[in-house]
Amino acid sequence: MNLNLLSYLVFLPAMMVIAVGTARSCHRNGRVWMLGIFDGDARFVDAINNVLLVGCYTLNLGYVALTMSLWEPISGWEHMLAALVHRIAIILLSLAAIHFTNISVLLVWSHLRAKQHAHQQPPQQQPQLP
Amino acid sequence: MNNLTVTTYFIYLPIAVALTLYVARILFRNARVFMLDIFKGRAEIADSTNRLFEVGFYLLNIGFALWIMRINYQPSGTQQVVETLAGKVGGFAIYLGFMLFAHLYLFFRGKRKASEAARHTTPLAPANA
Repeated sequence: MNLNLLSYLVFLPAMMVIAVGTARSCHRNGRVWMLGIFDGDARFVDAINNVLLVGCYTLNLGYVALTMSLWEPISGWEHMLAALVHRIAIILLSLAAIHFTNISVLLVWSHLRAKQHAHQQPPQQQPQLP
Repeated sequence: MNNLTVTTYFIYLPIAVALTLYVARILFRNARVFMLDIFKGRAEIADSTNRLFEVGFYLLNIGFALWIMRINYQPSGTQQVVETLAGKVGGFAIYLGFMLFAHLYLFFRGKRKASEAARHTTPLAPANA
């Protein structure tokens, strides 16, 4: 019983640090991409980015907490180590999957945007000339 | 025995309410930009619409948090209290995250509709002038 509590005590802070760190690095480095997607509208990009950061926190930390409720009873130190490492691995792998999905969404979106711009630019400039 | 259930409730409630308040505050502080775009810079109506949505967000999510609070078994000790709390708070946080993204989607949609409407109406303005 004590070992279960101890492993929660190790698991929760460690995962919080990792989830928050990942989310913050996404927040910091995704901004440039989003500026490209939304035509450099910094005010708007910052608004979306902040909301996405909070969404990232709630989803990831919620998932971390949810896995804690499904933990098997721990019988000894060896078991605790194995269970802890296994749970941490699951969280890290899902964070990685989400992270790469994010990156590919940004890439695809900015690609589409660049294509759209290439199509739109000539007709938009012509009516302004006369 | 009964005490642990009540203890769980009393730990859960402040966490859930604080989480809702935090998320709503961040969301609606940033939603103002969308509202200003949707209502074409009319700050008064944008702010009041924003406020209306914020109140709706509080009602919906705190209501949901209270609705799922009940636990149907007696936690046998600290470990089970922690596990129950983790499950409840985690599930609620995930729900809140989806709610957040749903609102963000709605705001995006509103902004797109507004800009579409603007694009349809702006060609008329130079013709009239």
